[in-house]
Amino acid sequence: MRRHTPVWMTVAVLALAGCTGTEGSSGTTATAPGMVDFLDYGDFGGGTAPQANYNPYLDATRLGATDYMYEKLMVFDNYSCTPRPWLATGFEWTDPRTLVLKLRSGVKWTDGQTLTAEDVAFSYQLIKKHEALDTQGLWNFLSSVEATGESTITMKFDEPGASVFTMAINVPVVPEHTWSKIPDPVTFVNTDKPVSSGPYTVKAFNPQQLTIERNPAYWQADKIKVQEIRFHKADGGGPIDQLKLSRGEYDHNAMFVPDVKKAYVDRDPEHNHYWYPPGGTISAYLNLTRAPFDDVAFRKALTTAFDHQEIIEKAQLGYVDQASQTGLIVPAHNKWLPAGLPGNGLVKYDAAATDAALTAAGYRKDGTGRRLGKDGKPIAFTFKVPGTYTDWVAAAEIVVDGLKAQGFDVAMETPDPQTYEKDRAIGDYDALFGAYGGSCNMYRNLADPLSGDLSAPIGKKARSNYIRWHDKETDRLLEELRVATDEATQKEAIAGVTKVMMEQVPMIPLWYGAKWYQYQTDKAIGWPEEKNPYASPGDNLLIITNLRPTG
Amino acid sequence: MRYFLRRAGFFAATLWAAVTLNFLIPRLQPGDPAEAIVSRLSGETRIVDPAQVEAIRKMLGVPGGNLLAQYGDYLSAVLAGDFGVSYTYFPYTVTHMIAEGLPWTVVLVGVTQVVSFVAGTLLGAWAAYRRNSRVDSLITLGSTFVGTLPFFWLALVLIYVFGFTLNWFPAQGGYGGGSSPGWTWAFFSDAVQHSVLPALSLLIVGPVGWIIGMRNNMVQTLGEDYARLARARGLTRRRIALTYGARIAVLPNVTGFAIALGGILGGTVLVESVFNYPGLGRMMLEAVSNRDYPLMQALFLFITIGVLAANFLADVLYGVLDPRVRGEEAA
Repeated sequence: MRRHTPVWMTVAVLALAGCTGTEGSSGTTATAPGMVDFLDYGDFGGGTAPQANYNPYLDATRLGATDYMYEKLMVFDNYSCTPRPWLATGFEWTDPRTLVLKLRSGVKWTDGQTLTAEDVAFSYQLIKKHEALDTQGLWNFLSSVEATGESTITMKFDEPGASVFTMAINVPVVPEHTWSKIPDPVTFVNTDKPVSSGPYTVKAFNPQQLTIERNPAYWQADKIKVQEIRFHKADGGGPIDQLKLSRGEYDHNAMFVPDVKKAYVDRDPEHNHYWYPPGGTISAYLNLTRAPFDDVAFRKALTTAFDHQEIIEKAQLGYVDQASQTGLIVPAHNKWLPAGLPGNGLVKYDAAATDAALTAAGYRKDGTGRRLGKDGKPIAFTFKVPGTYTDWVAAAEIVVDGLKAQGFDVAMETPDPQTYEKDRAIGDYDALFGAYGGSCNMYRNLADPLSGDLSAPIGKKARSNYIRWHDKETDRLLEELRVATDEATQKEAIAGVTKVMMEQVPMIPLWYGAKWYQYQTDKAIGWPEEKNPYASPGDNLLIITNLRPTG
Repeated sequence: MRYFLRRAGFFAATLWAAVTLNFLIPRLQPGDPAEAIVSRLSGETRIVDPAQVEAIRKMLGVPGGNLLAQYGDYLSAVLAGDFGVSYTYFPYTVTHMIAEGLPWTVVLVGVTQVVSFVAGTLLGAWAAYRRNSRVDSLITLGSTFVGTLPFFWLALVLIYVFGFTLNWFPAQGGYGGGSSPGWTWAFFSDAVQHSVLPALSLLIVGPVGWIIGMRNNMVQTLGEDYARLARARGLTRRRIALTYGARIAVLPNVTGFAIALGGILGGTVLVESVFNYPGLGRMMLEAVSNRDYPLMQALFLFITIGVLAANFLADVLYGVLDPRVRGEEAA
């Protein structure tokens, strides 16, 4: 989440950053030929006073190095959503409920032992036994994971498993010979000579800096051209981190920067770059259990009521793109779009069209310009936004202005994030923002906001369908998508859902959240970028195997 | 004696109330720590995965039983010095986290408080002694001016000038990334270097209150009849100012100082956040924003105990120093 520093602080830093410049201090030592000596990265997680923790299953508190220590069966390129062979060289669905993976041979743990199919099975059993470690809830779908041969792993699912593939291959593999001796893996911090398989091992740690070094015995060590990565703890993307970034002290960071072009790129246009690919979708959620939001014609009229460009330029600093009404991310998900859809489902801002459509639907304006409901009374409602999410507040102001221009009496409320999330979950709102999707699991992307099963009655916490969309056709399509193993069926189901989104307008997608990503090319090149988007910013293993020295 | 007993009773009752409030307040706040953790991890889009929330809820463990039973468990745990496991730093314990942050805050804030107090009191006394002189104007106006500067701005200027432009001192952190914390000379000198800027910022604003308080008290004292009498009896101005004026005027400041020392445990949230100093203030801010109830409760408890103990000491001290207070209470 973006750190919300007060505006004046940001302004002060920008002013300071703009003043003068001393060169970033980067110690140089003799570099081995064809290698990058070290790279400086940003934050490594673990809060402001990080404690050593390399347990790959403790998502919330492990340190960033863990991503470089433990590997998974397959690694997703989360930009194009392509699974890449990793510890497994390939996979096959022998039937819709059975996934068979072939294990790579010759992978060694750092203590010299071989990584076996038994290790894989053990890791999956571990998160079954300790539910707290199953952060994806994978065992809600799995029925068994076994080593069915020296290099074969067989996963069986309770139901057709295609829709949980992204989760099924996404479990860190740990060595059975050391982890089986740990009494409680949930409170295990794995700091005493961790045995791992990944490209890096921990070299040094203190709460200010985490250094990892290349594992020379790594199974694809020839692709690792960076000897050392040094992660630096500052103020988690606050003013000091921004100052350091603008001074070139990071080879790579992933944080929000106000006016990144001026504060970063312009200071060394040749080497300083950023790429902010889309993450999830931020959408206007209307409470579908309340009038007039329960009226399709009303919702449809609102799709043209919001000034996307203004939201993008003013509230999101131009870092994001408008979202498609299909509910998908365009252009990344273009292959799922139904044929013949005009403009990828991007709806143009057109206040006059909204006005006409509302009037036609029976919501006319009275003499003083107030929009009236079908009962003849002026329509009044609230729009909630967490007061501390400053960029969302700015966007909400533009949304509310758009609604006011249509004659609605809209009041903006700014509760604290916890209250906001509770109100949204129990359905105690008229209209607000919601975010969904952004993963490579198309079923989850669409089912989370729209599936009837993930909703709940008003007053009860809904799992993720906060708008309370209950539609037989949608649920049927989602079910079809969930069990589909071939792409043609998946495409058909997804196209069906996009049609529901366009015609029924259960929600109004506004913009795609950005993934922050800054990098410098003076020491290393090969970072993913708009022209070569081979990975998404968080795909650390894909990125590190692509980096190579500059020149 | 009765005065002291009364004070002790008051201290115990307040402590119990504080401990109980400490138990209740987090439970009355909206929001679920597991959700707070996941939404913190979720990045810019703030998408919360319910499966992850469930796993984290299982990891943290939900306190069981009714409120009364929870209260009993809480009291016995607190008495045993067991504050549980931090949510933010799971599986590290609250005790471990506090032990890590405590020395930094105590040393940084403690030392600067003492120096600020001594310097401020001396400067204030000097200004009062030379009242209406150029020295007095300089000290009074100067400290009033410094007192109006926003601390945050001052800290940022220090960071930019000494930390980035001149590169004299490290701009943030309690120690460097390359050093390993421990009782070594290298680490000690590294830590001292890192403490320069935060200490400097505290030392610039710290004495202001003491200066103004001391000067005004002393000017008033020196205008009293007994000071006039002393002058009439032929005592030197210097002797009157130091032996009578300053000694009496410093009394309220001593009380204030005791209370200020009690507040050290809370650290100074602002200075530690700006300089990213590894003390309890920064930890408290983080605990609050992460809904880290165990850590929050323990920190608040320490602050409360610190302030209460300091108040108690100040009361006792006052009783000793000023017989009138004791007399009134006993009457």
